[in-house]
Amino acid sequence: MKDKYRLKKWQELPPGGVITEGGNAADYETGTWRTWRPVWEEKNCIHCLTCWVFCPEGAFLLRDGKTPSGKDRKEIRKIDYFYCKGCGLCVRECPVNKKGAKEVIQFVREET
Amino acid sequence: MSKYFEIRWHGRGGQGTVTGAKSLAEAVQGTGKHVSAFPDYGPERRGAPLRAFDRFSDEKIRIHTPVLEPDVVMIVDPTLIGTKGLLNGVSDKTIFVVNTEKSPAETRKALGLDGQTLYTVPANSISHRLFKREIPNSAMMGAFARACPDVISLEALLEEAKHIFSHMLAPHLVDKNVEAIQCGYDEVETV
Amino acid sequence: MPKTIAITGNGAMAEAMRQINPDVVAAFPITPSTQIIEDFAKFVADGKVDTELITVESEHSAMSACIGASVAGGRVMTATSSNGLALMWEMLYIAASMRQPVLMTVVNRAISAPINIHCDHGDSMGARDAGWIQFYAENNQEAYDNMIMAPVIGENMEVRLPVMVCMDGFIISHSIETMEIEEDQKVRDFIGEHTALNSLLDTDNPVTWGALDLHDYYIEHRRGQQEAMYRAKSVIEDVSMRFGEEFGRKYDLFESYCLDDADRVVVAINSVAGEIKEVIDELREQGEKVGLLKIRLFRPFPYAEIAQALKGCKIVTVMDRSTSMGAYGPLFSEISNALYDAEAKPLLYNRTYGLGGRVMLLDDIKDVFKESEEYLNNGKVEKMFDFLNVRGG
Repeated sequence: MKDKYRLKKWQELPPGGVITEGGNAADYETGTWRTWRPVWEEKNCIHCLTCWVFCPEGAFLLRDGKTPSGKDRKEIRKIDYFYCKGCGLCVRECPVNKKGAKEVIQFVREET
Repeated sequence: MSKYFEIRWHGRGGQGTVTGAKSLAEAVQGTGKHVSAFPDYGPERRGAPLRAFDRFSDEKIRIHTPVLEPDVVMIVDPTLIGTKGLLNGVSDKTIFVVNTEKSPAETRKALGLDGQTLYTVPANSISHRLFKREIPNSAMMGAFARACPDVISLEALLEEAKHIFSHMLAPHLVDKNVEAIQCGYDEVETV
Repeated sequence: MPKTIAITGNGAMAEAMRQINPDVVAAFPITPSTQIIEDFAKFVADGKVDTELITVESEHSAMSACIGASVAGGRVMTATSSNGLALMWEMLYIAASMRQPVLMTVVNRAISAPINIHCDHGDSMGARDAGWIQFYAENNQEAYDNMIMAPVIGENMEVRLPVMVCMDGFIISHSIETMEIEEDQKVRDFIGEHTALNSLLDTDNPVTWGALDLHDYYIEHRRGQQEAMYRAKSVIEDVSMRFGEEFGRKYDLFESYCLDDADRVVVAINSVAGEIKEVIDELREQGEKVGLLKIRLFRPFPYAEIAQALKGCKIVTVMDRSTSMGAYGPLFSEISNALYDAEAKPLLYNRTYGLGGRVMLLDDIKDVFKESEEYLNNGKVEKMFDFLNVRGG
């Protein structure tokens, strides 16, 4: 654990229980909650970004890419397992998964 | 003057008795004395008998207790004459100032006074004449200045009253109330 | 030059608020504190202050709005009494634990039931553990002076705690008394500008207020809060001294009246101290060694200093104007704690008086001293706890 997250002594705390670092939720590893893991299959992905919209932890990371006709677009790059808590929303909402012929996001047990 | 000069007012809710006691204290304060003034608070109802108190001193006033042995008893409503408690704690030296249309002799008898000094003032008549309603407190203040010129002179009272009333009343009412003080002073009778 | 005027306690508190000129006042009226906010609302309407006055729908909302405005970086004030204070209960703790220096006049009034509008200290004593600094005042001058000092104390960076300035309902709030109101500019210079700490409106430095705080941190936050209370004591001494130098009226953590050589001492709070002093003067003329210790600061409670002040006295009567049902009075408990380590312990007992506005006359105070004389002569306390002036004994 980083020193930043060492439990502080009372003398070290600002008064009133105020949290003085903005956006420190980013430091919180929600990935430790995960019991099922979404696994992204790039070759089947149409980059519609539905998973990115639905993900409650912002765990889908993006990159710059091109559509088949050459226009600029954002594409899925990978899942950040530091944040992914394994809720499975992406698995359920993926439109390719829904059609059933192919799987873009597989949901597999963490336990192996 | 003993350590404290103490006044007990007897009036009815809605007549301005509490305001009278407080205004008199503010006026006496203006002459450089220490003062306190407070009512005997209860649920306030128009017409219900109430008491208010003044305490004046050359020294800082520390006590907050109701006045038990008044130097002056101010009876603001004539219909209170004959009710209980008006004479509680009074001595030979207690001065009475009574709002009544009756003569001092009749009032003395009605109150059952012995040798105490008594001043009467027709404060209701004065109030009707000036305000077309019964707000006898300003006239009572004028009568007080006549009864106790050592505590506050008429001149000082008129001067202070102008100032005090201007904080709470419209300008034409300030003048009327100052006039009521003058009338109260002028129309006092004694025996 | 200060202005010497005759004004009610409530009027004096409204004047203090006008001079402090807070950013926000949120209040809900309740007898006997109503006139403070009435007068202050007039100052707002007349443009004499820059305050945003929020008229809320309850005292709970009043304190909630005060906390919100304070967290947003403002200097914030309110006033209440009795059941109004009780309705604030939840938010009193939150103001204190979030370390917001909210300033509040509490005009002491008995708590229902039965419903009663008159003075006792059941309201503010009930809030004594909420984490507010608590000042008490004998008269309108002291209440005003305490309020002028309150922002300097509460907003001190070593303290950052809310401050409650208490005075007796009706006896002080509705009585006009001669007192001195200081010049506006002198008061404002004394108080200084409000400095916000971790303001929500400081968007360059974003913060989170009111986050969850479980067994990993709650006790550390409470420990820090307690420390702020300890530190407040010396800050109060400093500010009181500076106030004395500036305005000529000296205040300590408590007032000692004829205490140095006193055998029999009464400990009391608020307006009854005036009556007690009057009686002490009379008894002293008759050679009786009697004295008064008047509480000014109830939270933080100056235990060691009080123990020192009571050193040498032989009997102490603690007068509580509130009850802690099933226990001794709140003031008695503190005095008893303070004296626990004393080498020569005086006789000590507790009397409850004045609940719901029951008047204490000078003769009643004389009876208190008569009883303490009897106890001292007999060398023992007959009744540890009793009510004064109650029918049925």
